[in-house]
Amino acid sequence: MLQSEREKMMTMQEHQTAYVQRASFSREGATVFLGHLDLMTCFERAARRAGLPILYSQGYNPRPMMVFALPLGVGIETRCDYLDVSLKCPYDAEKFTQELNAFLPTGLRIIKSKEIPEPKDSIMSIVTTASYRFEAKGIRDAMEKAMEQESLIVTKMAKGKEKQTDIRPLLISLSQASTGDPDSVDFYAFAGSERNVRPDLILNSLSKYCGMDPKEAENTRVIRLGLFSGEYPRIIPISDVEIR
Amino acid sequence: MKINPVPLSKSDLMSVESPARYVGGEFNAVIKEDMLEELEKTGKTSYVRFAFCFPDIYEIGMSNLALQILYHVLNESDFVACERAFSPWLDMDKILREKNIPLYSQETKTPLCDFDILGFTLGYEMCFTNVLQMMDLGKIPLLQKDRGEDDPVICCGGPVAYNVEPMADFFDIAMMGEGEEMILELSEKIREYKLSKSTDHPMTRQQLLRNCDEIEGIYVPSLYEVSYNYDKTSDKPLGANIRPIEDGIKTTIKKRIIKDLDTCTYPTSPVVSNLRVVHDRSYLEVFRGCIRGCRFCQAGFIYRPVREKSVEVLCEQGRQLEKNTGYDEMGLLSLATSDYTEFPKLAEKLLETFEGHHTSLSLPSLRLDSFSLDLMEKVQSTRKSGLTFAPEAGTQRLRDVINKNIKEEDIFSALRLAFMGGWSTVKLYFMLGLPTETDEDVLGIADLASRIEKLYYDVGRETGQKMRRLEITVSTSLFIPKPFTPFQWEPQNTKEELIRKQKLLKDHIRSRNIRYAWHDFDSSVWEVVLARGDRRLAPVILEGYKAGHFFDAWDDHFRFGEWVEILEKHGLKIEDFAREYSEEEILPWDHVSVGVNKKFLLSERHKAHEETTTPSCREHCSGCGAATFGVGECFAKRNGTCAGASSEEGGAADAAK
Repeated sequence: MLQSEREKMMTMQEHQTAYVQRASFSREGATVFLGHLDLMTCFERAARRAGLPILYSQGYNPRPMMVFALPLGVGIETRCDYLDVSLKCPYDAEKFTQELNAFLPTGLRIIKSKEIPEPKDSIMSIVTTASYRFEAKGIRDAMEKAMEQESLIVTKMAKGKEKQTDIRPLLISLSQASTGDPDSVDFYAFAGSERNVRPDLILNSLSKYCGMDPKEAENTRVIRLGLFSGEYPRIIPISDVEIR
Repeated sequence: MKINPVPLSKSDLMSVESPARYVGGEFNAVIKEDMLEELEKTGKTSYVRFAFCFPDIYEIGMSNLALQILYHVLNESDFVACERAFSPWLDMDKILREKNIPLYSQETKTPLCDFDILGFTLGYEMCFTNVLQMMDLGKIPLLQKDRGEDDPVICCGGPVAYNVEPMADFFDIAMMGEGEEMILELSEKIREYKLSKSTDHPMTRQQLLRNCDEIEGIYVPSLYEVSYNYDKTSDKPLGANIRPIEDGIKTTIKKRIIKDLDTCTYPTSPVVSNLRVVHDRSYLEVFRGCIRGCRFCQAGFIYRPVREKSVEVLCEQGRQLEKNTGYDEMGLLSLATSDYTEFPKLAEKLLETFEGHHTSLSLPSLRLDSFSLDLMEKVQSTRKSGLTFAPEAGTQRLRDVINKNIKEEDIFSALRLAFMGGWSTVKLYFMLGLPTETDEDVLGIADLASRIEKLYYDVGRETGQKMRRLEITVSTSLFIPKPFTPFQWEPQNTKEELIRKQKLLKDHIRSRNIRYAWHDFDSSVWEVVLARGDRRLAPVILEGYKAGHFFDAWDDHFRFGEWVEILEKHGLKIEDFAREYSEEEILPWDHVSVGVNKKFLLSERHKAHEETTTPSCREHCSGCGAATFGVGECFAKRNGTCAGASSEEGGAADAAK
């Protein structure tokens, strides 16, 4: 085939309707140490093994259409993250969940899925808030101290350069639910494409300003509990967001 | 059975590059819980725990087909539980040493010292020191003679195991050839050994090794004694004199092969890494062996005879592989995919099978012609990547010497088609330092590249197409004489000579469309030492490892100067292994038979110096000796079970008798 013919072929793709499954998932165990790109590949391969009728993007390099609500960093567990999977045809949500779960590596699990109309706003754009749990010795004290600070300046790497940034405004509030245990704390923080704070930066600030042992901070178990849309305190879980 | 947690803290894991390497949990990984539970409860039972060890990092090991095949074969048996282990990278190595944590398996996080047997696959010589690293971190005595009744049996296989002499002091056992059957026979011997421990007549480790010698293809280095004589005036035979220490031990170790690949088990549910690895795709092995016989190529001789799988079997295995792994790419694996007899049919059937699945075929080692170009258009959903040619030498004369039966007309006619189809990136691979090479041959490389450049713009003028900028990469590696090839006796050029040739070439490549990339000299020089080495090297390797040398296969970590110092400290020099080996001397690997015999290799060497080519096995049998296995394309032809058999050609038929 000549180059010109090939280019013609490429522009002649028809539009396909997407039947979107919005699914919540958890991760624990060995898969916690995967980076976000590897995590996405794991889901893609599981969906292919399950033989789900996934819709592919068009163009030179077609990819399965799977969109994750928020990247999940290395070392972070999750109890409830979300992804949208575009399928070629309507699909029973229960069946989707079971079939995908049968082919995911141990540690990754679809909790629940529902079919939604093709969303106008991408799932990434509706995330505003995340809730996390930190587990480490004396973490509650340190976190309470952090909330009392006016600012928490940490160094983060951006485009290969070190950058000073204040993360205090990105911490929203400690959650009431976990009072009692001094070694565990739940909290809300800004998340998403507009304002976002990485848990490892919070832990850095705890050892820097709030008297937490650096080793202890590094060993802290980090669990994402949920992702939400809307403005705190009127936030709703991503799964409950109405599709316009 | 409780699967052990990863014996590392979160901060340890988070402090290293790619922590996912060290935690396991992959899809299709096998954990034989029932077997392990029984083993834990009853202590000594008849189950065998096998650790398949890959002496390099996870991402390289998980791209290795031998690992997947043997892992599958072992776990398919009802008495072996096989797990995987890899070399930890330097960051993790440091943590394990500092915290005194034994290197553990991926599946159950069991320390390597708790396995019954460790099997290393040796794909390249530079991984030798990583074998020692893994044993050391796994809490296993490095030297064979220091290991006791309770230590694991340490064995190896793979192409480099054919000359395992430099590592003979460290391994209990080396497996020669294809392992599918042999590895189970070996595991059976280990089981008998373990069972005997609870009887009145427990077997000793020495007896176990003697028993293993009974298995064809298995070499027990400690059952042989060696002396070296390089003094031509002495009455002792010249070279490496290797003899069994007792009667009854085999004098020649003959490699094993699988006779029928169609019926041989193949991993259609390989372990799928969670982490992206070097070759992130599934593998469909199409055939073994090569009909070509390029005289520098070890693989071309050690994997003979040529045995193909049938199209039907391949399509079914391909279908299962795609379904069971979820990979969106499948690599067809062999030494020269285009040489598969029914290649067009296979490609067509596989494309049919994957229709609409967004699964692409990866076709390495394809000979370029109109068919393969057309096929590449069909299989590659992504943009046109580069075309790769390996003329290996710059002039037809030298290509005849090395028996690389590729003609310039063929290269140019294929490239003309490719350029017309819009390809604009060409990679050309050559070797420097080949036997008989002159400056004219070196300059021939630059000349070939610039004539390809001219062709590109000629095509543009003739067709009136708008041409993109052309990119030609000329890449040279250095010739390394390898055992079991016709060039096994050849000297390697000195480093000074190679540097001169490289500069000569560099000075003659002037176009800005042509880029010159070259391979590091030092590692090629050291590779020759290890590849053609003998038992005198074991103390060198041990001392090097102890001084902190490993990951030698990684150019950034290979410190040549220090290795040479250690070598010289032990009374040896590079020249001892880079020299021309004499045709009279006994070579350190002469006690191993790969089927292709020494007489044939020698005649091929002489033909090389006469600049005479040898036809492919498909055109004409040259009687290399590989027909001794009683199978293969050449053998079938001889025996009239295949069309086109003729009786007048001698060769394989004689060899088979």
